[in-house]
Amino acid sequence: MIGEIIINAFLVTLMLTIAVFIINTRKVISTILLAGTYSLVAALMFVSLDAVDVAFTEASVGAGISTILFLAALSNLPKEETEEKFNIKHIYAICTCTLVAGLLIWASYDLPLVGQLENPVHQHLAQDFIEGSRNHIGIPNVVTSILASYRGYDTFGETVVIYTAGIAVLVLLYDKVSNSSKPNPRKNK
Amino acid sequence: MDNIILKVCTKVLFTPIILFGLYVQFHGDFGPGGGFQAGVIVAAAFILYAMVFSVEDCKVIMPPKLNFFLLALGAFLYGFVGIVGLILGDPYLSYDVLGSSKEAGQHIGILLVEFGVGLTVCNVMISLFYSFANFNFGKKNND
Repeated sequence: MIGEIIINAFLVTLMLTIAVFIINTRKVISTILLAGTYSLVAALMFVSLDAVDVAFTEASVGAGISTILFLAALSNLPKEETEEKFNIKHIYAICTCTLVAGLLIWASYDLPLVGQLENPVHQHLAQDFIEGSRNHIGIPNVVTSILASYRGYDTFGETVVIYTAGIAVLVLLYDKVSNSSKPNPRKNK
Repeated sequence: MDNIILKVCTKVLFTPIILFGLYVQFHGDFGPGGGFQAGVIVAAAFILYAMVFSVEDCKVIMPPKLNFFLLALGAFLYGFVGIVGLILGDPYLSYDVLGSSKEAGQHIGILLVEFGVGLTVCNVMISLFYSFANFNFGKKNND
């Protein structure tokens, strides 16, 4: 119990520190790498919540592939962000952020404690899913049986979303890719 | 990039990464993992190859046409499993009738569906990398 609190406090402190560094840094590459680190710490957070599948996804997608894709996409942008002068718009932004953060923190007091058996999330359908996964589907990993069987429609939707996103990027960029790839700019470096 | 250590390491690592991706893909029923994670891991192997060698070299082992075909095939496979169930007289995407018993049907259905997810995710990631890596955002070529 006390060990869990220490680990969670350490992870939250680490995430906050990384977030502060992300805000302060002006170099694009540091921002991308710090965002990847943030995802990795978030993955550790999911492990400490016993959500191993989500942690795996966060580590591979959030920390791995999106960092690489950002690096590939942003390598064509200016290396540094220009420092912006303080003006009146920032005060509105600060007020909005403080207000929203305050509301969220206030709302978080109504959330049930993590990991309690009497929480609504464990009462409704979870029992059926866990029993059905063992008796009807026969798969030890309940996450997979929910993802692919009980919520197959949702996963189909997600797959189609990824497919559509890929197609959209290809429609926007592919024609230009095939034209500009003849003299490959990377090969000469 | 002309670094012999990186090139040799990439050649050594390429196959184990794909093997690990396949393990995550087909072991998702019993441990953490599944189509999304496996697709990303396999794509990471190809992206590593493209980064260390060049995008053109990677296009030899994963041609864009094959890439686009597999990209569409994954989503199609997912929908098709549902339609097969529909033809055999079950609600859409409930896999009970696909095997000899209900349990076997569920196993086959989940395996195929996860494989479809993995194919789509993997090839979308590779094609995104191809697009971003080769596209010059409004800049002229140096040469």
